[in-house]
Amino acid sequence: MEAEPPVLELRHVAVAYDRVPVVEDVDGTVLAGQSVALIGPNGAGKSTLIKAILGLVPVVRGSVAVLGRPPQASRRQVAYVPQADTLDTEFPVSAFQAVLMGRYPRVGFIRRPGAADRQAAWQALDAVGLAELASARFGILSGGQRQRVLLARAIAQEPRLLLLDEPFNGVDALSQELLLAALRRLRTGGAAVVMATHDLGLAHLACDEVCLLNRHQIGFGPIGTTLTAERLRATYGGQALELRGDGVIVARP
Amino acid sequence: MTELLVEPFRLPYMQRALLEVLLLGALAGVVGVFVVLRRLAFVSDALTHTIFPGVVIAHLLDRSLLLGALAFGVLTAVLLTGITSSSRRVGADAALAILLTSFFSLGVVLVSRTRTYTADLTVFLFGRVLAVDRADLLQTLALAAVVAGTLWALRKELVLRAFDPDGAAAMGYRTAALDLVLNLLIALVVVAAVKAVGTVLVVALIVVPAAAARLLADRVATTAVLACALGALGGWLGLAASYEVSVDHGVRLASGATIVVVLVALFALAAAAAPLRRRRRGPGNPRGVARWIRSARAAAR
Repeated sequence: MEAEPPVLELRHVAVAYDRVPVVEDVDGTVLAGQSVALIGPNGAGKSTLIKAILGLVPVVRGSVAVLGRPPQASRRQVAYVPQADTLDTEFPVSAFQAVLMGRYPRVGFIRRPGAADRQAAWQALDAVGLAELASARFGILSGGQRQRVLLARAIAQEPRLLLLDEPFNGVDALSQELLLAALRRLRTGGAAVVMATHDLGLAHLACDEVCLLNRHQIGFGPIGTTLTAERLRATYGGQALELRGDGVIVARP
Repeated sequence: MTELLVEPFRLPYMQRALLEVLLLGALAGVVGVFVVLRRLAFVSDALTHTIFPGVVIAHLLDRSLLLGALAFGVLTAVLLTGITSSSRRVGADAALAILLTSFFSLGVVLVSRTRTYTADLTVFLFGRVLAVDRADLLQTLALAAVVAGTLWALRKELVLRAFDPDGAAAMGYRTAALDLVLNLLIALVVVAAVKAVGTVLVVALIVVPAAAARLLADRVATTAVLACALGALGGWLGLAASYEVSVDHGVRLASGATIVVVLVALFALAAAAAPLRRRRRGPGNPRGVARWIRSARAAAR
């Protein structure tokens, strides 16, 4: 029997907009159950790399493989969690309806979501601790609750690869706990996670691997050995501060 | 009251006019929900103006107005989808304004060559709902069936695309294709409305009932039902009012414009009622909901 391909395989990936390279030479492998933090300053190419993994921007050099196939062929196995504050808070959908949207690709055109889809949406909403607010309008929820709704939508997709863009931005402590717990459960279930984040502390809590980015890859590997002072300075340049004493690095976004 | 709202419609031409505005009001209302959710009111306005030269050309060539409108509707729906998703330097709004005015001017230039210039212009711009015949009604019905059927088939995807375009793209939906479909549907509504209300006022039929419904409902489905009902109601009341004033008081009121005035009045009522409704149902904050759940549980025990 052939070994199962890794969930995500990046081979010297370069992505460009209008022939201007945005991010270059990203190389690494993500296995089932692993979680990778994409770390780098604003404009480092984190969101672009996520879009390339989704197959929404073309890769100009190298290759991206999701479950051994091109990204476009694996979309059903991939879920994307956008930043909650990019969405219209006046939009007339309930939290439950927003989560149910994660089932639409399975439901297909014309048909309405079935009992199994509604069940999956309920379970996903429950998994992020929002079952009680299912019928509340998405826009009246707090930033952290909206981020949890979007994670629930991704959970309802039953993904094998989960991509998150700054999932902890503007999120309260309770929501942060619940997001972290839900992500842990997903990984236990065999999903791989890739998240773009500014927050080194949360990266340590949520991830075991790290990819340091600033237009090109500065490091990719286990978080404990890869996240060194030297590499962080290379990633953040003048924005990195070294504290005296224990040599801790604080990077500002 | 019955006299005012039912009596005029004993006449066959008024019956046809009523059916036409009920159909158009409901259809434009439901398409308008997506226009308002996507904030495409200006795009719809551009579409109404760019279809105008198509109507004029069809008239000059003595062809079906519907076909002319349809050809230009499809052409501009394609152009608009391109403009709104690609032009960065000029800006989508400026590009839209250029498209709108150039097509509209083309229509006016063409129509100015005819001898019956002003009469023709008035008909194309403002429509003549009382002149709607059986064939027009059937055309509207067919277009309504196509638009309603397409909306029904793609309702989930269009709502998802309006709510979260990046999320929709990540799920594998072709958002540009969905945008093109919506633009085509708007174009079809304009085409359907040309004869009855003209190209200029149809944008009110699309935007006003949906905007009013948006103030009163916080689910897409209820918004759509309300917009449908308000659009049809506005058509009925407007038609009855214009008939009443024209016949009984001898003041000629253009039906299409009267319908728009009634729709705007309904919008004003909705705007006045919206804060009352919010107060009655509470601000809808999560704490309010949690309190409601607790009290419901206590009641169950």
